[in-house]
Amino acid sequence: MLKDKTRRLGRRDFLRYSAAGAGALMAPGLVRPAKAETAALTMHTWSAAVDTVQSHLSAFTKETGIPVNYGNSPWAQYREGMVAKFVGGAPLDAMWVSDSWLPEWAEAGWIAPVDEFDSLMKYNAEAEDFCTDSMTYGGRQYGLTYYTDYMAFFYDEAKLKEAGFDAPPETWDELVEQSLVMKEKGIADYPMMLAMAQESWLIEFISTLVYSHGGRLVDDNGMAVMQDPKEGAVEALSWVVDAVNKHEIVSPACVETGELAGLKSFAAGNHAFAMVAKYRLRMLNDPEQSQIAGNVKQAMMPQGPNGSHATVGWMRFHGMSAQAAQDKARAENAAKLIEWFGGKADGAYTFQKLLFLDIGAGFGVKPLFEDPEIRAAYDSYGDVDMIQAQQALARKKDTVTPWFGEWNDTNGSAWQSAILGNVDPAGAVKKSADLWNELKDSY
Amino acid sequence: MLFLAPVMAVLGAVAVFPIAYSLYISFFSIKLTRPNRTPFVGLKNYTDLLGDEAFWGAVWRTVSFSLVSVTAIAFIALLVSLLLNQEFRGRRILSTILLVPWAIPYVANALMWKWIYDSSYGALNGLLYQLDFIDKYMVWLGDQDKTLFLIANAFVWKEVPLATILLLVSLKSIPSDLYAAARVDGATVWQRFVHVTLPAMKPGFMLVMIYETMMAIRHFDLFFILTEGGPGSASHVLSWHIYVETFRNLSFGSGAAMSYLLAIATFALSYLFIRTLGRKI
Amino acid sequence: MPITPPVDTIDYRRRQKIGRIVQRLVIVVSAIVLAAYILAPVSWLVSSAFQTETEIVSIPPHWIPEEPTLRNFEAIFTAGNDEPVTYETRSGADPAAGDFIPSTAENLLPSMANSLIVSILVVILNLLVGVPAAYAIAKIRFWGRNASVYFILITRVIPDIALVVPFFLVIRKLGMLDTLGSLVITYLAITVPFTVFILIQYFEGLPDELDKAARVDGCSRLQALIKVFLPLSLPSLVAVVLFTFLTSWNEFLLALMFTQTSASQTLPILLASFTSDFTVSFSFLNAAGVLAVVPPVIVAIVFERYIVSGLTAGAVKG
Repeated sequence: MLKDKTRRLGRRDFLRYSAAGAGALMAPGLVRPAKAETAALTMHTWSAAVDTVQSHLSAFTKETGIPVNYGNSPWAQYREGMVAKFVGGAPLDAMWVSDSWLPEWAEAGWIAPVDEFDSLMKYNAEAEDFCTDSMTYGGRQYGLTYYTDYMAFFYDEAKLKEAGFDAPPETWDELVEQSLVMKEKGIADYPMMLAMAQESWLIEFISTLVYSHGGRLVDDNGMAVMQDPKEGAVEALSWVVDAVNKHEIVSPACVETGELAGLKSFAAGNHAFAMVAKYRLRMLNDPEQSQIAGNVKQAMMPQGPNGSHATVGWMRFHGMSAQAAQDKARAENAAKLIEWFGGKADGAYTFQKLLFLDIGAGFGVKPLFEDPEIRAAYDSYGDVDMIQAQQALARKKDTVTPWFGEWNDTNGSAWQSAILGNVDPAGAVKKSADLWNELKDSY
Repeated sequence: MLFLAPVMAVLGAVAVFPIAYSLYISFFSIKLTRPNRTPFVGLKNYTDLLGDEAFWGAVWRTVSFSLVSVTAIAFIALLVSLLLNQEFRGRRILSTILLVPWAIPYVANALMWKWIYDSSYGALNGLLYQLDFIDKYMVWLGDQDKTLFLIANAFVWKEVPLATILLLVSLKSIPSDLYAAARVDGATVWQRFVHVTLPAMKPGFMLVMIYETMMAIRHFDLFFILTEGGPGSASHVLSWHIYVETFRNLSFGSGAAMSYLLAIATFALSYLFIRTLGRKI
Repeated sequence: MPITPPVDTIDYRRRQKIGRIVQRLVIVVSAIVLAAYILAPVSWLVSSAFQTETEIVSIPPHWIPEEPTLRNFEAIFTAGNDEPVTYETRSGADPAAGDFIPSTAENLLPSMANSLIVSILVVILNLLVGVPAAYAIAKIRFWGRNASVYFILITRVIPDIALVVPFFLVIRKLGMLDTLGSLVITYLAITVPFTVFILIQYFEGLPDELDKAARVDGCSRLQALIKVFLPLSLPSLVAVVLFTFLTSWNEFLLALMFTQTSASQTLPILLASFTSDFTVSFSFLNAAGVLAVVPPVIVAIVFERYIVSGLTAGAVKG
């Protein structure tokens, strides 16, 4: 009774208890409170949009009477933390999953397909095919969309005008030309911001560069094609190497610059061009956070000589744990929770809409594009048509396989080595391709 | 032994199982994405490692990181502890300031240094530029020849306080009449330092060497937050290698094998320090 | 070299005087260098905590904030109410306000309380468990003494990364997942070996005669430990307190793995989580970092006197 009360009253009470003295220290938190009457669900996410999630959870509990234990941990360590939780058998019902981890988590038997729940599958009709595809592995669908976004190309209109150009670059070569003029005129030391640090974003930057050069890393049969000079990867990496070392339009510090640091540097006005997630547009045009607010515009991703304006898209989804799926009642409740977030809550796509309005994250359901509130929000800092046009060219990462996690670190370090000049681009890409094929063979 | 019972109970209950468990799984080929195939492979995980270039690369980076940082920590801590052992005004304030780096959680410490080292708006570049030491902003963590040393600097900065405290504690154990006796014998400052102070600091040094070596060769947080092993593989040290192998590659067996090799090396070094610097044990 | 006696004494006195001046100079200079080395990074942390998000990325950096702001600290100290968050009260509700400070900012103080509880308990348990063990190993001859030392050492040589999963299994067996207790137990296990080492080294430095004298006076082993050894061991006990407190305060990996909800998350986890939201504020991160230092520094201020200027073993005649 007492313990139950403690749990509901929440964290702030810890302060009071701890002030109350050593005896009280022992009471809350040190041991797990006894189980509540209604079996609570456990949902774990990375620490993003925490307040938005909490507000939506409160509404869920009010509506269904099902309490939810909500936990979150930092994004950078989320996957590893979840691995420990799965292996250690921590109680878990629903969680956020990145498209990159789907094959791995499904093969390991940690998450379960949800396609037997018609209540969830009915939303596919209105969902972006890209999202449904990305949640499908081995013919089974594993969840509903949390958010989806893609890599966008942004430019600082003021700097472009100052350099004497009317339009942003169409191609990567044109970007080099414009950048060189900007360097000449002293507008920016490193006009292009590229974040190539080892982190989870790196594969998305790499894939975008390769796609826009008309290439692929891996073909439809899962064989590595990146080492083939006609497949864009070598060309893309060579472009980066030259941009850093020959033209000096990208900072040599790019190998230590993560997405976030790069974004802040762009927002500080150090660069004219940047490649970052589309949802960052809102922050870039917010005067509280950006010194170039109002000048940031989106353009189509520049293309390589044999390429297109293609870019990479990604999505994260609400998945169900395998342990929840084994228990029918629990699975039913977990499905309700997933629907509440990924589908409609009270007849509307409340969560995806909130998420977009609160932080600008892209939604995975088409009807929301027609929502007047959403159009108004987009119009205030971006160009809806441009956003949609680029989104149509977003393709998922072709490297998502059960061995993706194992290959990814080595691939990232191979690209970095080429930028540092330790190895030539062809050699770096070949090393990465060799590891890919070796891993593929071992499965 | 009744006095030892509590420690043995705690370690027995919490530490023994994990250690045995890790040893056990290091003899299996465990890949979590293939839950149904986990054959017993005996020592294969270990022998594979010995022929693995990436593993040895990580070993050498760990060795140089540890060598640089432990030497620096021991040396700076020696000077600081001698300083704080003097009577002077402001000593109390200084010794409180000394504890600040220790009090910053590693995560915050790493974020702070990342922020200082940043090559486009970091404080390090700003400071050096304003003082005219450099005429254009430099690349810091992104320069593969500097990365390991910059991380070592952040590590040393954080670890010096603890090492200093350990040395100070052993300085406090020197009976003051020992100095008096030495002075009567006409020993110079230097002689007193070499013959009285240094020998008395041996146990403190032993603790510092054991602890800081342990911390340095297993250090993880800074690498995680500052570089994730990059750029290229410039900061891909053994602890990071183990983390990647275990939690990213999901190869629990070979990850555990690496941990055991690291543990054996750590133990050997600690044993060495105990034998050379220890008092009686 | 033959020098006449009077000259020698004068020279000696002058040399002594010069020596003292040089000594003072060395002390002052090195104290200043040390303070600068330690404080430079921290003062930048503090300065940037008071800057706005746009000012903080200025080139060159503004060492002193030009438009100082308290909003980061306000976000941390503005206590929300205990009501569950609803659509109306969520922090993102008003995007026009550009509220980019993480919505979990208000969890910072509770997480500090968690860290504090864990650290204090770990300190107390360490002393209770570690002191008798160290005394036994240092002062009592018994069979297996060396073996116990090496056993204690062995429990610490395995990297924490390898211990995460088995620790996890133990914690789950004990039903302590997502509790502060799980952290107390594991932190105790990772700190107590070194606690014992610190104390052994100090106890061994204390003369055996003390122990014998106490026993002759009719003290039991326990009484000898409490009445004779502990008062003389204050510096090492304080070192243990600081070591265990700060290790617990700093620990990241295990806390990351064992805690899930804000009921048990400690400060380092919350700090790391601030970097992963859709909106990230560097100045806010720095503000959080500044606050993270405050409780341990208070602990340090309370205890440092016992190490630096405290009782020395010089009082003990061997």
